[in-house]
Parts: sequence; C-alpha cells; structure tokens
Amino acid sequence: MPVLLEARNITKTFPGVKALDDVSLSVRAGEIVALVGHNGSGKSTLVKVLAGVYQQDSGNVTIAGDAARKHGEGLHFIHQDLGLVPQLSTIENLDLSRTLGMHAVLPSSRRAERVHARRLIARFNATFDVEARLAELTPAECTIVAIARALDGWTSSENVLVLDEPTAALQGEEVGKLFDAVRSVAAEGAGVVIISHRLDEVVEIADRVVVLRDGRVVGEHLRGEFDQASLVQLIVGEAGDDVREEIHSRAPGEVRLAVRSLADQRLAGVDLEVRSGEVVGVTGLLGSGMERLAGAIFGASRPLSGSVQVDGVPVEPGTPARSILAGMGYVPSDRRRYGAVISMTAAENLTLPRLAPLRTATGHIDLRAETREAHRWMDHVGVRPARSAERVFSLFSGGNQQKIVIAKWLRNQPRVLLLEEPTQGVDVAAQAAIHDLIARIAADGAAVLVSSTDTKELITLCDRVVVLHEGRITASLSGAELTEAALVRATIDTPRPQQENTEMEHPGARHA
Amino acid sequence: MPETTENQSPITSDGGSTGDRPIAEERTSRWSGVRRHLGFRNISAVYIFAVIFIVFAIRIPDTFLATSTWRTLLDNQVITGLTALALIIPLAAGVFNLAIGIEVGAGSMFVAWLLVDHGMSIPVAILVGALSGALIGALVAWLIVKIRIDSFIATLGVSSLLAACITGISGGEQILGVPSRYADFGVGNVHGITYSFLILVATSVIVWYFLERTPSGRRVYATGGNIEAARLAGVNTTAVIFGTLIACGVLASAAGMLLTARLGNADPTIGPGYLVPAFTAAFLGSTQFKGGRFNVWGTILSVYVLAVGVKGLQLSGAPVWIPDAFNGASLLVAVGMAKYQGPGGDYFSIRRIFRMDRPATAAVTDQTSA
Repeated sequence: MPVLLEARNITKTFPGVKALDDVSLSVRAGEIVALVGHNGSGKSTLVKVLAGVYQQDSGNVTIAGDAARKHGEGLHFIHQDLGLVPQLSTIENLDLSRTLGMHAVLPSSRRAERVHARRLIARFNATFDVEARLAELTPAECTIVAIARALDGWTSSENVLVLDEPTAALQGEEVGKLFDAVRSVAAEGAGVVIISHRLDEVVEIADRVVVLRDGRVVGEHLRGEFDQASLVQLIVGEAGDDVREEIHSRAPGEVRLAVRSLADQRLAGVDLEVRSGEVVGVTGLLGSGMERLAGAIFGASRPLSGSVQVDGVPVEPGTPARSILAGMGYVPSDRRRYGAVISMTAAENLTLPRLAPLRTATGHIDLRAETREAHRWMDHVGVRPARSAERVFSLFSGGNQQKIVIAKWLRNQPRVLLLEEPTQGVDVAAQAAIHDLIARIAADGAAVLVSSTDTKELITLCDRVVVLHEGRITASLSGAELTEAALVRATIDTPRPQQENTEMEHPGARHA
Repeated sequence: MPETTENQSPITSDGGSTGDRPIAEERTSRWSGVRRHLGFRNISAVYIFAVIFIVFAIRIPDTFLATSTWRTLLDNQVITGLTALALIIPLAAGVFNLAIGIEVGAGSMFVAWLLVDHGMSIPVAILVGALSGALIGALVAWLIVKIRIDSFIATLGVSSLLAACITGISGGEQILGVPSRYADFGVGNVHGITYSFLILVATSVIVWYFLERTPSGRRVYATGGNIEAARLAGVNTTAVIFGTLIACGVLASAAGMLLTARLGNADPTIGPGYLVPAFTAAFLGSTQFKGGRFNVWGTILSVYVLAVGVKGLQLSGAPVWIPDAFNGASLLVAVGMAKYQGPGGDYFSIRRIFRMDRPATAAVTDQTSA
C-alpha cells in the first residue's frame, strides 16, 4: 500500500520547551493509525504541524509522495467541535462546503441532493434522516456528517483523514457506529489518523499505534503487538514513578466543602469532601465530567440533583451569588469569557463580587479607596506592572489576568476556592507564582479544589487527587500513591464500565 | 504544551507603561495620561464641536452667534437629551431598546389622554404616566429575561404594540386642550433658563451618579460587559436587566410628559422621531471620555454637538432633509470610529452588542430555567 502521509524527523521548539523531538509518522492507504500520549506529550503540536498551523523547526511533511504539494492539501481534519451548523440539515451542511459557481443562485435539485446525501451516509453504514436538523441527530451521527462532508470533495483517493478525539462526546454504542464509519473510510483506500485518550477504543480500532511521550515517539506497534496494559506502560513511562517529596506537611482541618451526589448533564453523582487547608485535585479525560465539576459545585449551572455544603451549611444550588455569600470563589478555565469582564479595569473586576465595604455613607463607591484596595491585592498576588489598577483587564498578559481573577476571590477571604486549569495560557514564571499562591490560600485555612488536565501541576499542588470517569469518581490518590505515573495510569486506564442497570442512583443523569 | 495565547497583549499605546521600568513609567504615564485624556480619540466630539463652531461663526456670524439662537438650542434638545439618557441605561447593561422613541410618544399621549379625556389632576396623571412607563419597561425585561426573546426583537415587537395603543387611545388625532397650568410648566423659566433644561441637567447628574458612582451602576456595566462573567461574580443579572429597563421606561415616559407640556398638546406621530437621534447620541457619546462605555456626559455632549451642526446648517440655508442626513451619517461615523478606535481589541460595548450574540438572554435564563 502506498504511503499517503509521511512526516519525517519533525522537531518543534517553543520557548523553554521542546514540544517535538525528531518525530516521524507515516500513514499508508487503508490504514488506521492511532496517535496516543498524555497531555503535553506533543500530540496536538504534531497535528498542528501537519495542518500547517505551526511551522516545524526541522524535518518535512510529505503528502501522497509529493513534497511539492501544497501544505494541508489532501489532509482533512475533523476537530472535536466538528464545524457544522446545527440548525441546518445534513443535506444543507454537505452543501456548504461545495463550490457552486453559477449554481449558487440557481434553484438546486432537491431530489438529487437528497439521493446524494443518502448515498454518502450509506457508505458509512449509517441510516439517518438526511433532512433532519443536525441538532436532532446524535453526536456520532454528527461526526459521520462531518466525515462525509470532508470526503464529499475528494476527487482522488489519496487522502488522509485526521480525527481529533472523535469519541470524547460519545457514549456506548455510539462509538461503535462511528468506528464502523471510520473503517469504511479506510476500506476505500484513505489513510486515517485517530487521536484518542481512550485506550480501549484504540485497541479496538487501530491497525498501528504511535505513542508519544515528552515530544518523542516512544513506541510504534502493529495490531496484535499491543494491548491496553502495554499502552499504559508506554504512555506513562518509567520516569515519574519516584515518590514526591512531602511538601504538604500541614494537618488538614475540619471539612469545609462537602459535595453529595452532585449530578448534571455530565456528572453522574459525585461525592467529595475537602478539608480546611487541603488542596484536592480533580482530573480525568475530556468528557469525563472533570471540566464541569468545579463550575457545578459553584452553581455556574443548575445541577439536576445533589447538594453542596460549606462548613456544614447547605448552599442553594445554581446561584453563584449565594455561593459567594457562602464563602466560595470560582476561577473558571476560560478567563476571558467567564473569569472577568475584560472591558472593565482590573480594579473594577477585583471589587465586583463585594462592593458593599467600599460604599460611603451617601451610597456611592469610594473610588480612591477602591483603587487603594485593588493595588493592595494586586501587590499581594504580584501583578505586573505595579500600580495598574486603572488599566483595562484585557491589556494584561495571561498570567497577570489570572492573578487578578484569583485576587478577586482572595479579597473575599474565601472558605472554599474552586479553580479550573489555573495555569492554562500562563508563562512559566507566573505558573510558579500561581502555584505558590494556591498553597498559601490553603495554608490560610481555605479548602481548595483544582481541576486540571496537567498531571505535573496536580502532583506539585495537591494533597489528594480524584480521577473522574463518565461522571463518577473512579480513583482517589494521596500520600505515597500520588505519583505522576500513578495519576496518568488512573486517568487513562479506566475501561468503560458495562451497562450498569443495578447501580442507577441518578436516572436521567447519564442520558440527559 | 505551551499555550500560544500568552504574550498576545504586550503593552500597547495605552498608558505607555512598560512594567520593566517602573520609574520611567511614573514620569511618562503622567504625560501620556494627559495626552490620552485630551487626545482626539477620547474627546473627538469636542474637537468636532470646535470645528463646527468656527466654521459657522465665520460664515454666518450674525445668526449663529446670537444669544437667542443658543438659548433656543439648549432648550430644544431637552427631549432628545432625556431620551438619550433613558436609552443609555439599558445599553450599558447590554440591552438594545428599539422601543425608546415610541415609549416617549406613549408617555406624551398617555398623560394628555389622562389630563384631557379623563380630567385627572396633574400630579395623579404624572404618577400614572410614570407608572405606565415602568410597566412597559418591566414587560420588555420580562420578554427578554424570562421568555428569552432577543432584545432587538422584543423591543421591536413592543414598539409596534405601543404604536397600536397610541392610535387606540387617540384615534390617530392630536389631543388638544392640555390644562394651561400643565402647559405653562413646559415654557416656564428662571432667569431665561427653561425648567425643561434644568430637568435635563438634574436628570443627567442623577443618571451619571447612578451609573458611574454607585455599586448598582457598576453592576450594570459589568452585565453589559460580559453577562456570564458578571453572573459568576455574583451579580444578579436578572435584576439588573429589569431595573435598567424599568428606569428607562420611567425616564422615557417622563420625557414624553415633558414634551406634552412643551407643546401644549400631544401628537400621535411624534415619538419615533426620537429613536435615531437618541441612538446617535448614545453611540457617539460612548466613544467620548470613557473609551467605549456608554456614559452620560459623552451622550449629552453628543446631543449638543449634533444639534449645533444641524442648527448651523439650517441657518446657512441648507435644505430640509439635512437634519436626518446629518444624524444618520453621524451615527454611522460614531460606530465606525468606535470599531477602529482604541488599544487591544474587541472589548467595546458597541462591538459586543453588534455581535448579536444575544447578550441578555443567553445566560440570565440559565439560572432561571431548568
């Protein structure tokens, strides 16, 4: 079989990090190659180099044996968000990618289009209504539409389809449906690259697997030469198994945050306690519910069931204002959308949750006192430049923005602080400063919860880390068990549980 | 994996501070601060005003520089000014009120109807008029927050309903014979300054104080800046939207009642004419002083800059279609300027509103539904 995509000796360095170190990857016609590795292993960098988003420092990418071919041509990427319009039908979505020319203004032959769409879908062993709006289809069916759209324009068979975490949003038999479709793509002579964290699925579908760790290829095996256990071993590696130094010597105090069977669209009943002075980490794969837990506890969205208590007092669910009064603070992962009002100044953002202490007798805000107080807190968390409380939030760098968001909650002397990806998009120096800050907050007696996909971060910060899978806590690591290797293993090595009919405490939660 | 979002916002033109050199920064920032405050970007309307003033002062000094011209000018813009003030309250919270013109018209008709057709006493009629304005505001807010209709559509629909009400109670005719005591107030003055103008000044101060000095005003701006982030910071965004629209309704209806007093009658066709001037002033005003934030003094300044421009053109014998053309062109230029203005990017309230991403409905309902 001819080689369709060949990346040879790719090296890519970012300031301070060698993201890809002499990585080679080839994809043959009809082959399904899985690319696996933990967060930070270089998978996404490699994909971005293939897509031409990043320019590699050295090495070259050849598509269908022709180095002169334009970058990205013959390569089709399907990302998690699929890039479809949910309000339109399958037919209409397929139509969007076509070059129409004069036909753009002429009436289209609806019958021909319908037949065409059905035929395309049928190639993937799928039979759903091509005239229904995508919003009414299942996630797997939408993925199939995205693949069909990518394939629709293929004139030659020399094409490579790259699927980035295609199953993150899928459950149960949906995965099987999608895999049938992927197999038929390969059967038609295309090459397929699947990036996935779900190793059981990788074992099921991949003809060949390429394992990345720390920017290097650490293993490449053909079907039959690998199983889930050997993949876990490759991804985790030997290093990182050493017991970390015991930095958290303080004895945790009484329980401050108590979460009881919290359930929403993604969470299927989470029980969790965080004590005063304790830093608890939350991790898991994408789609496991880890990305929602902190927000759900804070009440960013209304949960389906369950309760949250701070210092033994129940907090009304789904109302951030009540959560703040109860002593909670929430640092969301998407700073610019949820963490701050970026058009307002640093001072205005800092004081927004609690303006009452700044009110004068006549009811207005004491602007001088506000600036003074903002400067005090910004100095406390180390925002640079100093004395910049009057500056608009969006003009700060990522690290400083994050410090301001944290300072906003520190000012409230929080009993419970919930942080999501606290150091995402933050430079190395600011990262260390933020970690230090989080440790100090806990030392001052707060209960701290950190959701992160960065294993190293969790190891440095946390006393205990819980791992979520399918909306439930499946592992809890602390003390000597809490090593990077153990954590990565607990995250990726969680087989899909069988349909549990007996243990459905929260009907509806899983299917909502 | 290093995220490349870092370093995307190096220190820009604003402030001139560099962080690495705190001492140098102290010195330069004072200068650049002054420059920024007096720069064209920050107070363009003042410069435009100066240009308009000089041009007409040279071309038509006799009429343009007469005291009476200016006295009438100040007085004539009171209703537009009040309407624009009413408008910026919900705009600051990210809510578009396209019914603002007709709300003024409804206030005008309703008070005349109560006074003339129902013979109500003046204080009761004013109270009922204000209350009806509050009800209209509450209705709009309810449609936006609870029924989750986009503010454009909700206010467009309500404005048509109000137009029907106006025609309904008036039969499409003017209401004449407003009590003279009521009409006298509209033309009364102290030392040549009309009561109307004093009302505008007082209202400006109150709205300014509320929006820019009180905690509630801060919450309004936060809601307009990013409704979801505001909610997560504990702001009751539902209350903010209700409050701003009710305040807007009361103020618009007050403007209408004052209009009836000034005219001595009520005209069913008069309201919609205030829509475009009010929006023009609000948007041009948002580019003044506060770099993208709707604010009182920028709005009032804009009302008068536009009025002086129109007046000068009229006095130099420009055709009758000039006011409309001038207002329309100014609105487009004001919004265009805001889009290209300023450091750092897409945080302008105008820009956010025009993204049409349902600012008011999307998140508020999150907490109320489910």
